[in-house]
Amino acid sequence: MSQKNSLPAVFLTPAMGILAVLALVPTAYAIYISFQNRELSRPDGSLVGFANYIDLFSDRRFINAIGVSLTWEAVTVGMTLLIAVGLGILLFECVSPRTRNLLALLFLVPVILPRVSAAFVWKFAFHPLYGIATYPYKAITGQPLDLLSNPATALATVALVDVWQWGLFFAVIVLKLLETLPPQPFEAAKLDHARTWEIYAFIALPMLKAPLISLAFVKMIESLRAFDLIYVMTRGGPGIATETLDMYAFSQGFIESGRISYASSMAVLMMIATSIAFTFIWKRVQ
Amino acid sequence: MTKAKTLVSSIAFACLLSTGLTTVAVAAECSGTIKVLAQPRDGLTLLEDYKSEFEKLSGGASFEIDYLNENDRRAKTKADASTIGKYNVYYIDEANVALFASAGWVAPLMDYYPADYDYADFDPGRQKVATYDGKVWFAPVTGGGDLMVYRKDLLEAAGIAPPKTLDEYVAAVKKLNQPDQGIYGTALRGQRGSGANVWRWMPFFKGFGGNWFDGKTPVFDGEQAVKATETYLELFKYSAPGSQTGGWDEAVGAFTSGQVAMLIESTPLVGMAIDPKSSKVAGKVGYLPPPAPLTGGGYGHGLAIGMKANKDEASKACAGLFVAWATSKENEARRLEAGQFSELNRTSIMTSPKFAELYGPDLGQALADTGKVTAVNFWQSPQWPDLGDRWGIILEELITGTRSDIKEGLDELDGFAKDLVARSQ
Amino acid sequence: MTAHTLGRLVGRLILGLAAFSAVFPMFWTALNAFKNRVDIVTPTPLFLFEPTLDNFAYVLGRESVFAGLVNSLLISGAAVLIGAVLGLPAAYAIARYPNRWSRDIQFFVLSLRFLPPVAIAIPLMVIWLDFGFYDTRLSMIVTYLLLTLATIIWLSVPAFARVPKEVEEAARVDGYGPYAIFFLIALPIALRSLIGAVAFAFVLVWNEFLIALMLTTSDAKTLPIVASELTQLGRDVPWGILNASVVLLSIPPLLFIGVLSGMLNSAFKRKTQ
Repeated sequence: MSQKNSLPAVFLTPAMGILAVLALVPTAYAIYISFQNRELSRPDGSLVGFANYIDLFSDRRFINAIGVSLTWEAVTVGMTLLIAVGLGILLFECVSPRTRNLLALLFLVPVILPRVSAAFVWKFAFHPLYGIATYPYKAITGQPLDLLSNPATALATVALVDVWQWGLFFAVIVLKLLETLPPQPFEAAKLDHARTWEIYAFIALPMLKAPLISLAFVKMIESLRAFDLIYVMTRGGPGIATETLDMYAFSQGFIESGRISYASSMAVLMMIATSIAFTFIWKRVQ
Repeated sequence: MTKAKTLVSSIAFACLLSTGLTTVAVAAECSGTIKVLAQPRDGLTLLEDYKSEFEKLSGGASFEIDYLNENDRRAKTKADASTIGKYNVYYIDEANVALFASAGWVAPLMDYYPADYDYADFDPGRQKVATYDGKVWFAPVTGGGDLMVYRKDLLEAAGIAPPKTLDEYVAAVKKLNQPDQGIYGTALRGQRGSGANVWRWMPFFKGFGGNWFDGKTPVFDGEQAVKATETYLELFKYSAPGSQTGGWDEAVGAFTSGQVAMLIESTPLVGMAIDPKSSKVAGKVGYLPPPAPLTGGGYGHGLAIGMKANKDEASKACAGLFVAWATSKENEARRLEAGQFSELNRTSIMTSPKFAELYGPDLGQALADTGKVTAVNFWQSPQWPDLGDRWGIILEELITGTRSDIKEGLDELDGFAKDLVARSQ
Repeated sequence: MTAHTLGRLVGRLILGLAAFSAVFPMFWTALNAFKNRVDIVTPTPLFLFEPTLDNFAYVLGRESVFAGLVNSLLISGAAVLIGAVLGLPAAYAIARYPNRWSRDIQFFVLSLRFLPPVAIAIPLMVIWLDFGFYDTRLSMIVTYLLLTLATIIWLSVPAFARVPKEVEEAARVDGYGPYAIFFLIALPIALRSLIGAVAFAFVLVWNEFLIALMLTTSDAKTLPIVASELTQLGRDVPWGILNASVVLLSIPPLLFIGVLSGMLNSAFKRKTQ
């Protein structure tokens, strides 16, 4: 019933206008800066064309950062979904509705915490000398366990915190999804003497395919914001073992040399990559 | 703690009376809040107890200190000074004084330093480090060189004499390293940073005859650097756990908790090691200058006047007054009373009877001896922090094992250095 | 049958472990906030100790913490308020007046939600520096408006879409104009979900870190930045104080947990209707 009235225009224009300005101006400026050679410590800068982009692809740390980011994405998205589906099913199957609500509330706690808090809480728990998570290892073997200083385990440890926050949260969502499924297919399957895991694998999960893909998609994009955790827990170390793309861009732009243009070119590439990935998946989900 | 506090307060009261008389002539017309960006230092934290004293002195100004760890402090002071300049006083150090001075981010200190606070009283080594291009830029808050600190009991038990050369040192570290007893040969710095792992590495580099630059050409990519890195990595095998990504705090913490046999570190370590309040091994500690041919890393941190935040002469004078007061004889005397060995910089304080009473006469002698081998180990240029930090990252990778080719790392650094020099033209 | 009960038991055990892991770390941090430093730096973690309020007193007494708290409240509050005032009507328009651009608008809004923060923080930093608004609350509010507007619109469109069309039709027949229908009918009906959306946006900007880190330096620092500075002091780490500051930082978002849980419930309830 689309009558000709002013409401859509009046309601939409201010918000859309502001969003357009707030989104497009920084994007355009980021592209503009990336074609310069600006540094924070100097007020000027001249146009250098694609020099920054060319430098990026021969930059060892940039290539490493791409590798770290991809590994991070794969690990966190995969583990989150695994834990979410696993715990969601357990919540649905093994406990009464009242306990379910209580557990659901508890599972929301990690994701509500500021990333910085979660990072510190676990950094403290994993401290080689005073941490409570490393204490069992220390008590048994007498050696302190320093997970965050070991290049082999550092990324996994930070990923643990991310999965802790999001896996438990998604488990609640999976639970809610399971609760909304119609009961008939399940009853039919039980009458056919299907085993529990078969019911889930062949009936429940396929029915939830679309929402689960959406969840994976949300997690993929959320995983790009690993910065907070890595900044507090490892700063990209040891060496560059946990230096994701955003950590490296930040280091270049801020900590190390104030190379704003170089960092900007990285940011532009990240924007392009996420836009492409996002558009692609959006089309598939529709 | 309360007893020490009343003692300090009574001294403060006495000083207040005396300074009230001598500094009436210098009382400025300051107002507002002086913002200070600094590193956590006990001496600065102690200052916060005397805010009212400064208020009276300055005619109404207060101060607020933000604390950041060393790497962050360096990054943030640089970012702030080069962009918006919100801080009136910066904590800078020997590594970035060249950068700050040549970029015009800090004001020449002596223009705003009241004469009766006696700058010449500061330790000559620290004065030297605070000078660039003929002018003085900061008033020292901490500084010194290196000392080799060792556990007398452990060395005696193993029958080793305190080493005088590097070869003896390395042999001793290997022999004393007994991880199953919880004792490690040494504790190095692994954490990246021109003031962290690079700082500990440089005495080896300089000791073997290495040099950073010859004019504008990088000349460090040679066998001295390779040998220095190899020695450093070798020593890391006997270094306390946590030191691979640790810095000064971790190394000192390991020693004072009794897990380390020998350590070459900056002079404040000694004060902490012989203080029973912060060290489990006080009383078992010996100290000597670093073994030959290692040079001691001369360093100094201090407070400087920011240019951007202090827009007019009056505010610069106010900031100067704060810097002078913060590093004054009275405040240093308070730090001496509080047992803050690392925060002492004035010759008058370090040669005072109180100092000898608290720390013994040997320490004064050791400090003088090590002063003879203290050198400037880094490249005195505005680009040093960038170069040093980049080497710090590569060195951290070598230490943690994610990279193993030393020459390749040095070549990468060489390329970076050439690029750095080119960009600064 | 026994296999089934055994399976249930194992399942419950796993759930118990998960729930334990969800709350214990925070509990442990809160516990340590009441300890003196000497009780924390022990080789064996202590559960029994003499509690002290010194850490909290120190944290709450630091001017920087107080300033950070005020900044966070003002910045997050203003960004969410403006975001709601502008975003809720926009969401309603998208939900109720679909046109050929609705799909694209939703795509655009959602895509903003997913921009990598570092990608917008770097140019914004330069922009605010050049215009002289760097490190001010104003620049932070404007920047966060991007996040709050996008989030509130994204979450409110489904909420408004769920408002039964029949009620709005009935109101139209009764002579209500389109604006009246929005304010008097749609808004009250969807209120619960809308409050959830607004609460979500608030928690989002309250917890935000990277953008605040790059766009503030001393005046407009938000609480997460101040808390992280305290945790990164380095020397002689004051563990008790760090734990206390993390507890303080985490309390405001946790207060919203009830609201957000309700929002989740209502988001999924419609499917069972």
